[in-house]
Formats: sequence, structure tokens, C-alpha cells
Amino acid sequence: MTRTLRCRALTLGAAVALTLTACGGNSDSPESANSKGLEKTVITVGALPIPDSASIYIANAKGFFKEEGLTVKPQIIAGGASSLPQVKNGQLDIMQNNYVSIFGAVSQGEKLKVVADMYQAGPNAFAIMVPKDSAIKKVADLKGKTILINNLRNVGTLAVTTQLKVAGLTEKDVHFAEKPFPDMGAALASHQADACWTPEPFITANESKLGFRTLADTMTGEAEDLPMAGWMTTDEWVKKNPKTMAAFQRAVAKAQALASSNRKEIEAILPTYTKIDAKTASVITLGTYPSALSANRLQKVVDLMVEYQYLKSPIDVNSIIVAPPAG
Amino acid sequence: MTRARLLRGVIGAAGFLVVGELVIRFGPSGDLIFPAPSTILYEAVRLLADGEFLLGALTTLTNWALGLLIAVLVGVPAGVLLGAVTPVERAVRPLLEFLRPIPSVAIIPLAILLIPVDELMKVSVIVYASVWPILINTLYGMHDVDPLAKDSLRSFGFGRLAVLGRVSLPSAAPFVATGIRVAAGIALIIAVSAELLAGGVAGLGVFVIQAGSGNRTDLIMAATFWAGAFGLLANLALQAAERRLFHWRRVRTGAVS
Repeated sequence: MTRTLRCRALTLGAAVALTLTACGGNSDSPESANSKGLEKTVITVGALPIPDSASIYIANAKGFFKEEGLTVKPQIIAGGASSLPQVKNGQLDIMQNNYVSIFGAVSQGEKLKVVADMYQAGPNAFAIMVPKDSAIKKVADLKGKTILINNLRNVGTLAVTTQLKVAGLTEKDVHFAEKPFPDMGAALASHQADACWTPEPFITANESKLGFRTLADTMTGEAEDLPMAGWMTTDEWVKKNPKTMAAFQRAVAKAQALASSNRKEIEAILPTYTKIDAKTASVITLGTYPSALSANRLQKVVDLMVEYQYLKSPIDVNSIIVAPPAG
Repeated sequence: MTRARLLRGVIGAAGFLVVGELVIRFGPSGDLIFPAPSTILYEAVRLLADGEFLLGALTTLTNWALGLLIAVLVGVPAGVLLGAVTPVERAVRPLLEFLRPIPSVAIIPLAILLIPVDELMKVSVIVYASVWPILINTLYGMHDVDPLAKDSLRSFGFGRLAVLGRVSLPSAAPFVATGIRVAAGIALIIAVSAELLAGGVAGLGVFVIQAGSGNRTDLIMAATFWAGAFGLLANLALQAAERRLFHWRRVRTGAVS
């Protein structure tokens, strides 16, 4: 009896609330959910929990996606290579991936498209590090040494190789060994290897906790301002969802502009989706967050990949990027 | 006796932690870079107030329970069928013996490729991994039924189904329970492994990916601590259930555990 009453009261309350909302001048809300004719209003976007992918979290926090009538559900991915199948089978609509991986996959026949730029290397954000008492004083000393890298034949080895070249070495003069970034510090400290290539926040941690020193900033010379990662999807998805993609591009561009104009925005968002706390976020070195997708800039990655034989033949970058509509 | 055993277990665990703490804090090697047990336990306790972690743990445990339940619903009837109908067992056994030793973690990448729905993929690999111990134990349980008891019932005119229900199933039940307990441990391993490999919106494994990318080994270990604790609790609960349900078997076989 009381239960029925309570149910009725609830229903009544809900009905009143709904009526009030409907009268509340918000009358365009039913169709505004998809007034822009988006093919898909809810998309799942795969991202690594690292500073690179800040834009979708900023866009969510600032309501940029919402303004476009788009709901973006971020999903943590384990890695670009391991998650490629998820974007191919449709579990993810769009995902983060680094350009070396994307171009490598494209050269193997994968039908992929880059829809937005994400992260570009800046000074001191990707370094070769050695323990403080290491006898390695300059890059040329790496001859015959073992360098830890997160993925073989990827952006890390490519960047290191550009520095080896400056020192008169080639990739054949060193040994690369795979190791996840968090484990590199301990592995070097226990002499399992001689040097490591690492991004932030590991550079700061290795410096402050282990006293490591930076042997070389890898993003200089040929690799200066190297485009690192972008938002990508499949050809098929782009063909099927042009409006959804354009909405995503506009919102991400806004977030990227905000991120590159105000570092505080990145520092504020990092602790919400990574385990980088506010204190660490305020001291780590970050790359840049380009707002526009530029074939010219991405061409640099292709050129390096061809030069160091990561690609057999050049790829036409224009054919795999989807430039956002003007305006 | 149980209390004495519990006490010894606690002393053993505590001793291990203390030794670990001392080695890490004052050990001769400055090269060992690993959070001390006290740091890990402190972070583990703090995680209980972390909504994101709790949601993750809940997600993983839901997948785990759902996967285990489906594995029971598939594995037990299949085991009973194979155990009761010998020609079927002969036909299926080679395939089972081929599939069973494949490490379940190895099929996760295949599952990621084939199953485009995240939760479904995760539950599917949990089912796949945990169905084997249930199926095989049920099968052994069915083989272990006392033939004399079956014959007696048959000679009194009971049909096949009646013999199955009155003798075979009750006799195989303790084996089934053991299979489920073994499967529970495997299911938890696979639940977390699938998240580590595939990522996801929430989960213990997803939390570990985040902690790793943020250089927080202490958080990785704290989350691992809880994964271990959940496994331990599940095992204890299932063991207690086995004892209660099948105490007659212990009495009959004189097993001490």
C-alpha cells in the first residue's frame, strides 16, 4: 500500500518535473540532440592515458563536443598497435595512434585516415637518458650499447636513430631492447641496459628519483618538432560518418587551441584522466598541441621513415588525412 | 586447529611483508627500485576512497562473475553429457584435448579482433578460459561414480535419467565444485589480462594501464594487491561452500582438508 503510494508520488513528481522542463524555454531540446544531422551522436574514442590525448578530455570538460551535438566516450587503450583491431572492427570509432605506426600500417595496406592532429614533439620532451654514474658522456659513446625503447621500429627508435646519425653512428651500432616506460628506470639502475629513450613524465621521475641525466634531446635536428600522434579511424568510418567526423574535428581543434594557448588547461585536465598528479603536471615538459592538420608537417615523418628505411616508398600524406572543412 | 593455522598464515604473511620492507628500505642494493610494502598497503587502503578505482573493480568483478556463471551453465551440462554418453565423449575428446592446453591469454588478441563489443569480448574470453576446469572436473566426476550404485539402481528398474539424477550427479557434484573453484581463480586472471591487453572504460586492468603510464608503480601494486585479495576471498568463499555442501564426502572418503 505505502509502496504503491510512493510509486505514484514518484511518477507524479517525475511528470511534473518533465512538464516544467518542457515549459522552461528549453523547447528545442528534443531535436537539438541531433539537429546537425550527425550520422552518429555517441562515439567511443580510444586514447592512451598520457598528456598527448588531452584534447578530447578538455573538449568534454568544456562542452565542445556537446555544442556539436556529440557525446564522446573516452576509452583507455593499451597501445596503438594492439588497439588497431578495435577501430577496424568498429568497437572504437576513433583512436589515438602515433604517426610512425599509422604510416607503417598504411604502407602495409591498412585503409586508415587521420582526422585530427594531436601532439607534436617539443624541446626536451623525449630524451635519451643514462644513469648519473654512467661512462656515456655523449651520443657517440652509445656505440655497442643497449638502449631501452618502448617499441622496436617505431617513433622512439626513429628519433634515436636521427641523433645517432649526427654522432656518426647508425642504428646497427647500438642494440635496442623493448621495455615499458615505467620499468626503464629500474632496469637501467640494475645495469640491464645502458641508456633509455623516454618521454614525460618519466624524464622528470628518472631525474628526480634516480638522478639520471639526459644524454640527448632526441627531438632536435632532423626530428625537431616531429609530429607524434593523431586521431585516426578507418576509411570506411570517414565515408559513413562525414558530419560526425567534422563535428569531432571542430571540437578537437577548439580544445587543441585552448591547450596550446594555456598550459594551465593541460595541467588541470591531466590529473582527471591520467595518474599524473597536479604537482607533477606542473613541472613536466610538454610538446605542443597543433590545432590544424597539416600535410606539410606530417610529411616530415614520412620523409624520416623513408630515409631510415621504415618505409620502402613514400606515402602521399594528402591521401590519408581528412582536412577539416574550412570555417 | 583452524585458528592455529590461521594464526600461522597471518604470521607468515606479516613476516614476508616485514622482510620485504626492510630489504627495500635498508637493503644493500640501491638498485632495487620498488615501492615498499607499507607504501603499497597505504595506497591500497586509499584506493578504497577512490571512486574511479571502485568503479573499475566493480566492472572487473561483474565481468568475472558473469563469465564464471556462464562457464558453469555451459561446462557442467557439457561435462555431464560427455560423462554420461561415451560415444559423444570419444568424438569430442580429441578436440577438447587440443583446445584445453592453449593458454587462454593467447586467445585474447583473437577475441579483440573478432568481437566488436568490449564487454562481450571480455566476458567471452573469461567463459572460454574458465569452462575447461569445470568441464574436465565434471567429466572426471562422472567417471568416478560408483558403478555398483548405478547397477543396483538399474536392477531395481530405475531408468537412465533416474540413475543420473540419484547417483551420478550427487556423486559428481564435489568434483564440479572443485572445478568451479579452480575456474574462479583462472577467470579473475583472464578478466584482468583482457583489460590489460584491450583497455576499456573502467576495470582493474584499465587502472593498471593508467597507473603505468603515469609512472605510479605504487598504484599498480596497490591495484594488484586488491586483485589478489578478491581472488583469495572468492577462493575462501567457494571452499567454505564446498565444505558445507559436501561434508558427507569428507566423512565418506576420510579426506582431511
